[in-house]
Amino acid sequence: MTKQRKIRVETAHGGDLAGRFEAMASPCEVLADGAGESEIAELTALVAEEVWRIERHWSRYLQGNVVDRINTAQGKAVKVDDETSRFLNYAQHLYEMSDGLFDVTSGVLRGVWRFDGSDNIPKPEEVEAVLPLVGWSIVSWKPPLLQMKPGMQIDFGGIGKEYAVDRALGLAALKTERPILVNCGGDLAANGPHLDGQPWVVGIDSHIPGTATPVIHLLRGGVASSGDAHRFLLKDGVRYPHILNPKTGWPVVGGPRVVTVAGSICTEAGVLSTLALLHGPQADEFLKELEADSQVIW
Amino acid sequence: MQLIEQRPENRRRLHLAMATLGLLGLAAERPAAADDGTKNWTFDSGLLYYKEGGGRVQAIEPVVNAAIDLGNDRTLTAGFVIDSLSGATPNGAAPAAAPQTFAQPSGKGKTYTIAPGATPLDHTFEDTRFAVDLGYLFPLSSNGHLGVGLSGSKEYDFTSVGANTHYTLDLNQKNTTLSAGAAFEYDSSDPVGGIPLPLTMMVNAVKAGGSSKSKNVKDILLGVTQVLGPRGLLQFNYSLSLSNGYETDPYKILSVVDSNAVPQYYVYEKRPDTRVKNALFAEYKRFVFDRDVVDFSYRYFTDSWGVRAHTADLSYRWNFAQRKSLEPSVRFYTQTAADFYHAALFTGQDATVDNASADPRLGAFNAWTGGLRYGQVLANGHELSVRVEYYKQFGKVAGVPQQAATALSQFNLAPDLSAINVSFGYRFNW
Repeated sequence: MTKQRKIRVETAHGGDLAGRFEAMASPCEVLADGAGESEIAELTALVAEEVWRIERHWSRYLQGNVVDRINTAQGKAVKVDDETSRFLNYAQHLYEMSDGLFDVTSGVLRGVWRFDGSDNIPKPEEVEAVLPLVGWSIVSWKPPLLQMKPGMQIDFGGIGKEYAVDRALGLAALKTERPILVNCGGDLAANGPHLDGQPWVVGIDSHIPGTATPVIHLLRGGVASSGDAHRFLLKDGVRYPHILNPKTGWPVVGGPRVVTVAGSICTEAGVLSTLALLHGPQADEFLKELEADSQVIW
Repeated sequence: MQLIEQRPENRRRLHLAMATLGLLGLAAERPAAADDGTKNWTFDSGLLYYKEGGGRVQAIEPVVNAAIDLGNDRTLTAGFVIDSLSGATPNGAAPAAAPQTFAQPSGKGKTYTIAPGATPLDHTFEDTRFAVDLGYLFPLSSNGHLGVGLSGSKEYDFTSVGANTHYTLDLNQKNTTLSAGAAFEYDSSDPVGGIPLPLTMMVNAVKAGGSSKSKNVKDILLGVTQVLGPRGLLQFNYSLSLSNGYETDPYKILSVVDSNAVPQYYVYEKRPDTRVKNALFAEYKRFVFDRDVVDFSYRYFTDSWGVRAHTADLSYRWNFAQRKSLEPSVRFYTQTAADFYHAALFTGQDATVDNASADPRLGAFNAWTGGLRYGQVLANGHELSVRVEYYKQFGKVAGVPQQAATALSQFNLAPDLSAINVSFGYRFNW
């Protein structure tokens, strides 16, 4: 898989300069209040390097990285690096807090579920067959050693992008006094309002035709959205979104199409929006219980 | 949805927040902040164009101000201004029924003649002023900053040098700022053709007052700025200015008239050699509609010459787009005349008064100013602004000698004045 590894400085709407690049299958954007072309280019390069580094580090598609070594270990223990170790600790925390709904080992379910807009629902026995390969509770995690059953897989896709946004913003903020906003495909974070105290105004594209684009006024913190209008199956009038319950192996039906959450940082917002989707029809109750500043499109 | 600083009470949320911070681990990997030694220059450049109605004074004024951030909270500033004025300015004489002829300040037999009933204007007024200033601001403590500065300006007949210092102290987590400042200025006046003897007859430019006069000015400023919640700001300033020395304008004269308002002769003006000025200033700013800024200020001024003035200023900064703003403003100003302001003197009065001036700037008037400013932050971070102001001054007749009041009433002794002021500003970093 070849990817364009380059950054561009372009004029965003409103006349500001924006640094842009592609990462994690999303368009990414860097805004820095008042920065000139060379400065925005420098900051964007820094941000892009960090996002690309995390992408390389945890991509499921790249041979030889830590995720690939884990997923091809065939039952052997794999020693992971510090950053991955922190991530697995975090994944464990999320698994416990969500009562098993958030599970980094649920990726193998995608082998039987192909969300291509068709009506190709897998047979129950096909789902049944892979369920024994899903479950953080059957993984041995003794930092820094991770050991899984042969055939199990982990996937950091659920929060890797939000984590990259937060990391990159933090690194860029060390380079400049200017307020910065980093946005990767609608998952974004800003370290402060504009120099004149005005909030960043960000449109969140829900990708749902005919739905108004929610506009967020962000002073500082992170915003993340989960849900994808284009990835679902439709059979007998039932819409099966790509949100899979790792405990049943089946999509969570009857939930919102898009959940957008604002939090103190992007990663937290991403976790809350993902968990809200996993709560299906109870998404609103979940968000309310966690006091999440959110917007839900059903 | 508006993100506000939130402190969730919810325990699950708190645990999540703590776990997320642990994941990011940025705190541990943050490289030590280092002063990389890069200097950050900021330039404020501007061009001001001022034109009074009726062919009076016009001025073009390019301005450049530079500030360099030396790091560690220290800033060096430098400013440069060129004032280029030309046009006609009232010489102080009252209108008369017959044509009036005046000698030009430079003497040499050159004269100008004023039509009957017209305000006598000296059309030879032309001046170029260069001004520079240097400042250095540095911290004395974590909350206190000291600034020191030098300034100087030069016109062909006027030289000024000054020094100033100010101290600011932030209290109450920077919600309160106290400031105190002091300045000293020395001015030297070397008028064309020499210094006239005050209250003596203006006769073919005989000037026996010497070639040079000076004055010194001492200023004290005290201020307090208070942040009122996240949206309001209140500021009070008090200033005291003590001026000693040659305060007189060597080019200004007064008409000495008889009871028919016929000028008998003209005398050079004379002002007291001390002036004490007091001013109180209050300003309130408020951020409204999460977008705009309202700014109201009021200033009261009084001096030992009997001038009292009130200024009220209201502006509204409408940030109609993310980087663009429009700022309409309106200002009202009113002042009373100085005790020694005389529209003209009655014959013989010139021998009895201690001081006398017919300078319209020391007369009584009201003035309104309406302005509109457009500002934009460009894509490269530079800031551009254009301001247009219209000024209208309404003169109020004062200081008319009783014996000639009826005859003088046929003339407009306090003509209105209008002016337009256009300025361009450009601010950039380098």
